[in-house]
Amino acid sequence: MSGDYLRALETPRFAQLAPNLHAAAFSLMKLMPARFMVDRAESAGRLRPGGQIVETTSGTFGLAIAMLASSRGYGLTLITASSLVDPKLKHRLERLGATVLVIEDPQGDGNQRGRLDCLKEILRTSPDTFWPQQYDSPDNRLAYARLAEQVVRSFGRIDCLVGCVGTGGSLCGTGGFLREVFPDLRIIAVDTHRSMLFGQPVGRRMLRGLGNSVLPQNVKHEMIDEVHWVGALPAYATAHALFREHGLFMGPTSGAATLVALWHARNNPNAATIAILPDEGHRYADTVYNDEWLAGLKDWPVSIPAAPVALDRIEPAEETAWTCFAWKRRTLAEVLAQ
Amino acid sequence: MPTVGAQQPGRRPNRDNSGHADIRDEVLRVGVGRAIAHHGELLQGVFEGDDGRLHRSLITLPMVRLQALATFWPRPGRAIRTRPSKRPKAARAARLTLEHLGLRDAGGDLTIESAIPIGHGYGSSTADVVAAIRATAAASGIHLRPSTTSRLAVAAERASDAIACGDQAVLFAHREGRVLEYFGGEFPPLVILGFKADGAGPIDTLRLPPARYDSEEIQLFRVLRGLAQHAVRQQDPRLLGRVATVSAMISQRHLPKPAFEAIRQMADDCGACGVQVAHSGTLMGILLDATRPRNSATAADLARKLGDAGFKDITTFGLNAEGMLGS
Repeated sequence: MSGDYLRALETPRFAQLAPNLHAAAFSLMKLMPARFMVDRAESAGRLRPGGQIVETTSGTFGLAIAMLASSRGYGLTLITASSLVDPKLKHRLERLGATVLVIEDPQGDGNQRGRLDCLKEILRTSPDTFWPQQYDSPDNRLAYARLAEQVVRSFGRIDCLVGCVGTGGSLCGTGGFLREVFPDLRIIAVDTHRSMLFGQPVGRRMLRGLGNSVLPQNVKHEMIDEVHWVGALPAYATAHALFREHGLFMGPTSGAATLVALWHARNNPNAATIAILPDEGHRYADTVYNDEWLAGLKDWPVSIPAAPVALDRIEPAEETAWTCFAWKRRTLAEVLAQ
Repeated sequence: MPTVGAQQPGRRPNRDNSGHADIRDEVLRVGVGRAIAHHGELLQGVFEGDDGRLHRSLITLPMVRLQALATFWPRPGRAIRTRPSKRPKAARAARLTLEHLGLRDAGGDLTIESAIPIGHGYGSSTADVVAAIRATAAASGIHLRPSTTSRLAVAAERASDAIACGDQAVLFAHREGRVLEYFGGEFPPLVILGFKADGAGPIDTLRLPPARYDSEEIQLFRVLRGLAQHAVRQQDPRLLGRVATVSAMISQRHLPKPAFEAIRQMADDCGACGVQVAHSGTLMGILLDATRPRNSATAADLARKLGDAGFKDITTFGLNAEGMLGS
């Protein structure tokens, strides 16, 4: 196994950001669940040599599964929406042999329903096709035992885990395994304004790669102690600081997670804290790391808030804002009913 | 380390370049071997090997205080006779060791003296087998590596445990007789309060069906393995206690121990590192940090409480704990 490059690529490097804060910095975190799901499908006989894979994604999970499918000889169809297409990523996926289907998206909300209809039609006509279901398959969460293992091997006892939520796989997976060994572990979820994951009304989101406009089953609300909503601008500015101060060239969601984790670590100096940083910055070279693009943004440059605004009632805020809410391991229904 | 030695001086065997003895014409001498018991496991489950496959493996909790002593008395002819009689695994182990050493035609009497109770998870059978292997090797003037001893032990009795590795912390594939991961040294210092439930009868380890772990448990084993490695590297008894406790909780779903929750509560109340169980036996243990002051008072207090609660065979022993050989 030592020669398996994709396995090495899914392994994070650890970066110390504060005396009590380490970040697990991934090149491409989604390789971890993608490989686990493909391995499991192979051993269960759901994926046979030369078989077909289909998934709806416009992001890094698509890239991860495309690399695996290509190296292992599987066909792959990825379904995305016209509002979400990133031409460079699309070309990269196609270079890996993936078929990228772009669904019309007149409302500009990602048209998840239209993408799922298309996917189900493919499954109906080719029933042998393997659908990983990163949103809802428990395998997504189970895959992150490997991250939990690496964290405890390196650092032993952990008191707090901070991570972004999109499908819920990385935070609820890693957090679930860490809490089995450290029941008092504090789990802090990082979301963005106008994502519906933690009870906000859905709207246009400027920060991509976290949050969601549908609710995946892998989000386990009752595990979460505290939720933070970080706007796009402080996330970008913190990503820039990560590069300047630590040489970590990461994507904007890593900036959001770092902002929250640094604040928590500073206020809880005895709490051994881990932040999950999901991907690198190369995809954002023309945007988040481009001064001309940034200059066109309303309110840029932004001064990074020193602390979040604690909400009594969950509501959206500006892209410059950072808010938080004491979730206290409740279900979504319990919180919405209060 | 367990001892291997010879009681009677004899001619040294000639060795070829492979290090194996060429002693067909040599006189075997009387050989003695010892092996320690264990007190169940700190961790048991299935773990990924370098081959990417899953292997049933465990971390044995060594119990140096209880030992088996085997003596090999060479005798003409190929037969291996044991005293006491009916120790076929030990006899097979001696035979396999002679064959491994190229002594196909040698034989002898094997005497086994053991203080280890049978069938409660102390590893009495493996201790007999390992002591027999060591005694037989000593009879021909050979020291065997723990890995060779383990492999011969598994060949003799189908499954083994890690006691051939002595007090070194390893993740051991007990059905294959090989180490999956060397954690890099000795265990963190622990004092263990061992006991078993009243009326718990012996268990035939090899007739027990192997536990069927679900995928969530298998993934959790991965995390426990990582934490065990950290605990050994940092010599942290508390983290190793967490490993043992979570492994025992998983074991509860497969071979439940009576009053397990009460034991956990008792361990929490006295500030213990955790609890451990024999995953295919009846033993349980409460793990104390051996570096903490007032341990003997805590241990005595726990022993009294366990006795009052009806637990049997209550014993205290140390693992890599200074100044403590056990009671």
